[in-house]
Amino acid sequence: MCRYELPAGFVMSSAFEGILYDGRSAMGRPVLVEIENARLAIVYDGTRAVVAQSDVRVDAPVPGVSRRLMLPGGAAIESDDRAAVEALWPAEDPLSRSAFWLESRWSAAIGAVLLTAALVWIIIADVLPLAAEPVARSIGPRIEQAIGAQALKSIDATFAKPSQLPAARRREIEREFAAFTDGEPGLGDVDLEFRRMGGPNAFALPGNTIVVTDEMVKFAEDDDELLAALAHELGHLRYQHAMRLVLQKSGIAVLITAIAGDAAGMTFLAAAIPAAVLNASYSREFELEADRYAYGHLLRHERSPRALARLFRRFAQQQHPADPSDPLARYLGSHPGIEERIRLAEEAAN
Amino acid sequence: MAEPDLDEQLFRFTFTGRAGEYFRIWIISLCLSLVTLGVYSAWGKVRKRRYLYAHTKLDGTGFDYRASPLAILRGRALALLLFGGFALSGHFVPAIQWIFIALLLVLSPWIVVAAARFNARNSTYRNIAFSFDGSVREAAWIFVGGAGLSILTLGLAYPWYRMRRARFIIAHHRYGATHFATDLQAGGFVLTYLFAGLILAGAFAILVGAGIALSTGTDAAASPAEETSLAGLAVIAVVYIVYVAVYAYIRSRTLNLMANATIIGPMRLRGTLRARRLAWLYLSNIVAVLATLGIATPWATIRVAAYRADNIYARANAPLQTYRSGVPTHATATGSEVSDMFDVDVSL
Repeated sequence: MCRYELPAGFVMSSAFEGILYDGRSAMGRPVLVEIENARLAIVYDGTRAVVAQSDVRVDAPVPGVSRRLMLPGGAAIESDDRAAVEALWPAEDPLSRSAFWLESRWSAAIGAVLLTAALVWIIIADVLPLAAEPVARSIGPRIEQAIGAQALKSIDATFAKPSQLPAARRREIEREFAAFTDGEPGLGDVDLEFRRMGGPNAFALPGNTIVVTDEMVKFAEDDDELLAALAHELGHLRYQHAMRLVLQKSGIAVLITAIAGDAAGMTFLAAAIPAAVLNASYSREFELEADRYAYGHLLRHERSPRALARLFRRFAQQQHPADPSDPLARYLGSHPGIEERIRLAEEAAN
Repeated sequence: MAEPDLDEQLFRFTFTGRAGEYFRIWIISLCLSLVTLGVYSAWGKVRKRRYLYAHTKLDGTGFDYRASPLAILRGRALALLLFGGFALSGHFVPAIQWIFIALLLVLSPWIVVAAARFNARNSTYRNIAFSFDGSVREAAWIFVGGAGLSILTLGLAYPWYRMRRARFIIAHHRYGATHFATDLQAGGFVLTYLFAGLILAGAFAILVGAGIALSTGTDAAASPAEETSLAGLAVIAVVYIVYVAVYAYIRSRTLNLMANATIIGPMRLRGTLRARRLAWLYLSNIVAVLATLGIATPWATIRVAAYRADNIYARANAPLQTYRSGVPTHATATGSEVSDMFDVDVSL
């Protein structure tokens, strides 16, 4: 309610133009509104109707939007004379008054851009990772297993083929791996799966599953190297990286929808962007965390992190020729700073 | 089609909003929404919409959006509950996801009707409100039945279902006391979706061909984590462009069909949107929004609104004054908010 009390004896007089809509038909009548002593005289075609100023409600001001005066009985006057309406009925509601004030100046807009950018950055870099960790931990093992099984099924359906390693070799690795993970704090039973996927690779799935490719088994020069790679994957499992990544990406999708969701055609972006770009920066931190876990795990089992460094070095040598032709891979860098990781692994061994 | 009438008048839609002005409202809304953990977003939505409505003008007079932010906030709380459950469960247990989908399916007719009712009731033109009187029961027949039929017929009934949806939404709207009427037919929708399907199939065939050519050229030694190669990105970009273009085609064609079939008392709408122009708008908007990290979003909104307003007009054989007001109806904000979050596109 806007009640504007004038001191007794004070006479204020002004006038503004508007269009009166009676609320019963769509007919608009151009009117002159004269204000005198807290009363409105609505002048139309020689007739005058008088209304107390305190009986008139006005809408909240929005920059560039004409004002609406709601008269008793359902009629309304729309006026483009925003200054006159604002002078007569200053917005009382502090929220819409502040919003109008902020929306009316470029300095506030620029400030808001900077503040929004800072907030978005903090949310992506700090809040989401911080929030994802306890949420990931609260997810039950059965649920994680279900997700992991689903992921493995889709990998099998697309690019994985059954392993062609001799059964004896597989059993040997499984035995060594069982000894390697037995009694480790923070790890349950870890399931090791063998697949053929056209390249040396090992990855961790939610629900304590590690997939290792035949090519990886052959790429490792000895079992120290193979176990070093598996120790790195155990780090991913130990810290629930897969789960946390999913949660963080969901948060970013919500954020992007909040920012750009207004514009038509933007909604599909919300799903595509976090997957493509932001993924990389998160996984960089996860890779380093998994590496650090691997050093400790290897040392506990009287193996040297140097094996991890050796593996990385050969990876780097193999992949390097492909790198210059693929500047985007370098830029997005899902396996970043391999030199740095080699250095860190060697430092951990000393 | 109405026969030519000597008294027939042309009423144009125009859009007079300016990107700079709207940008300030948008960024303040976004910033305050983040600071208040989303609470301000209800106020921001009303202010943004009031700006866009006021600058969408028919015959020189703007529309007005009068929704109460508190009603929207209440609706958002409920929508968040539903959406949160849906988003989270989707990642965790497929079974829970199905329960939520079932729940949404059951609720969707109510969501559609409540959203249409809330938006109509809070939209006015010349101080006369719109209203929506579609029943939840009829919505259930069309939305659940139509969707089910679409699935059963492997998508063949989908265009027909979209047409029935549009007809339901249009025919139950009123402006004051004047009921909207529509003579929308399935034919145009069927042709539109058929052509869209053909474009998609053609593009897919070309992509698969290109993909085979590419994969035989290089050794397929990429691990799943390293799909960031340039060729992969180019394929994703092409898929995206085709997708947006097809979306723009369907959107422009169906908007025209719906407009051309809409009769509001003495007035008939007419749509002249062009698919190519709309696709260009969408794609350039996406590039601009990406390149500016979202800053260009309000500009993108203004461009589409202006194009849409410029390409819908009305013919009437009586002046607009002849419209009278009707009986006010009751509506809640929840339906609108739920449908906003799930992007259930039921608007004209």
